[in-house]
Amino acid sequence: MSTAYKVIVNGQQQLTVDSSQGTLLEAMEAAGLEPHYHCRNGFCGACRVQLVQGDITYINEPLAFVRPGDCLPCCCVAASDLEINQ
Amino acid sequence: MSYSTFNQNQVNPLLEPMFFGNSVNVARYDQQKHSIFEKLIEKQISFFWRPEEVDVSRDRVDFQALTDSEKHIFISNLKYQTLLDSVQGRSPNIALLPIVSIPELETWIETWSFFETIHSRSYTHILRNLFTDPSEVFEDIVINEEIQKRATDISRYYDDLIFYTQLWQTHGEGEWEVDGEKHLVSMRELKKKLFLCINSVNALEAVRFYVSFACTFAFAERDLMEGNSKIIRLIARDENLHLVSTQQILNLWQYGQDDPEMKEIAEELRDEALNIFMKAVEQEKQWAHYLFRHGSMIGLNEEMLCQYVEYIANMRMEAIGFDAPFKQRSNPLPWMNKYLVSDNVQVAPQEAEITSYLVGQIDSNVSASDLGDFEL
Repeated sequence: MSTAYKVIVNGQQQLTVDSSQGTLLEAMEAAGLEPHYHCRNGFCGACRVQLVQGDITYINEPLAFVRPGDCLPCCCVAASDLEINQ
Repeated sequence: MSYSTFNQNQVNPLLEPMFFGNSVNVARYDQQKHSIFEKLIEKQISFFWRPEEVDVSRDRVDFQALTDSEKHIFISNLKYQTLLDSVQGRSPNIALLPIVSIPELETWIETWSFFETIHSRSYTHILRNLFTDPSEVFEDIVINEEIQKRATDISRYYDDLIFYTQLWQTHGEGEWEVDGEKHLVSMRELKKKLFLCINSVNALEAVRFYVSFACTFAFAERDLMEGNSKIIRLIARDENLHLVSTQQILNLWQYGQDDPEMKEIAEELRDEALNIFMKAVEQEKQWAHYLFRHGSMIGLNEEMLCQYVEYIANMRMEAIGFDAPFKQRSNPLPWMNKYLVSDNVQVAPQEAEITSYLVGQIDSNVSASDLGDFEL
């Protein structure tokens, strides 16, 4: 099964992420997006982005409160094509 | 209703709100209403550390070589952090434990406060190493006007909640006169005070620590005061977790996942909560001004520090449902992040970027000649 998905960031920039190659945050960094982060471990919530469309899977369950419509890229991977707002 | 250390009524903690329900009786964690607090406890305990593990002896030499303005920055920040942790080491216990109603949150509050006391002890550890007699530094904390201004705002919401809770627990609801002043005690009023108190604590954990963190890590970027920076890293990691807990409480209320009355109050007092946050941000900027009044330090100045406060405030405010009020969307101090990444905190000592890595080290090499003059 393919683990490569398309991610649209802020409605314009498009990148391809491979879920088997690390977290969404790492993929965003690799694409030069400079996402916010602190703990990289799901408990500070600093990397929070808006999840407009698509599914993600948490590889570590986040401790920070994830408000409806948000996701924490530091501890999740894409499970479908995504649209996010940074 | 008076507080009982062991409430003998049969209560189902799964149906209790976080606060102002029946007081907790059995400390059981097999079932949880809000399991997040149990997870926070586990995480926090896994972070356990002792200040004495960190060798700060090289810091004394570094400190002597700092300029006067840098010494002012360093010591003022330590004083301020000492104040913050003095408050946080006791207040959640005194203010929140008498009114908490679910066991996992009760234990989280105790764990949280306990870790703040570790932080307080670590400031003494740092200061004792820098000064032969650190009394002057500690004594200045209650005299220094700049610190006092902050202390007033930090403690007042706690004090208010504590006072009204005491009135309620001794006299019940009603209007009571104490020292010639009338106080209206009602459940609604108590809950409002609780809401404001949690907002004030949230602002404290969210932004108040970060000005001094930034200064500490700016020293570490120049390979100065590294023992201190190692301790502050551990503190920053803990504070991040404490912040998560207050954000959780506020969000659970806002989304109506706990006490429905708290949801109403959260809407009613939204502006006041916003003001608490904005005032904390303003005070932190003033603190940055005070720090740099004798001159800045390499790699950091008042303007950058204020931008960082705005940047971090934006992030923290969005986390509890406010719009980001400031323009600063990019991180003006990108090097801060490497000190805040939790994975970077606990690494094999020899791999750490920090050079003073002796952790509770003892010399275990004993040669035969060491025992040469030993007789039975």
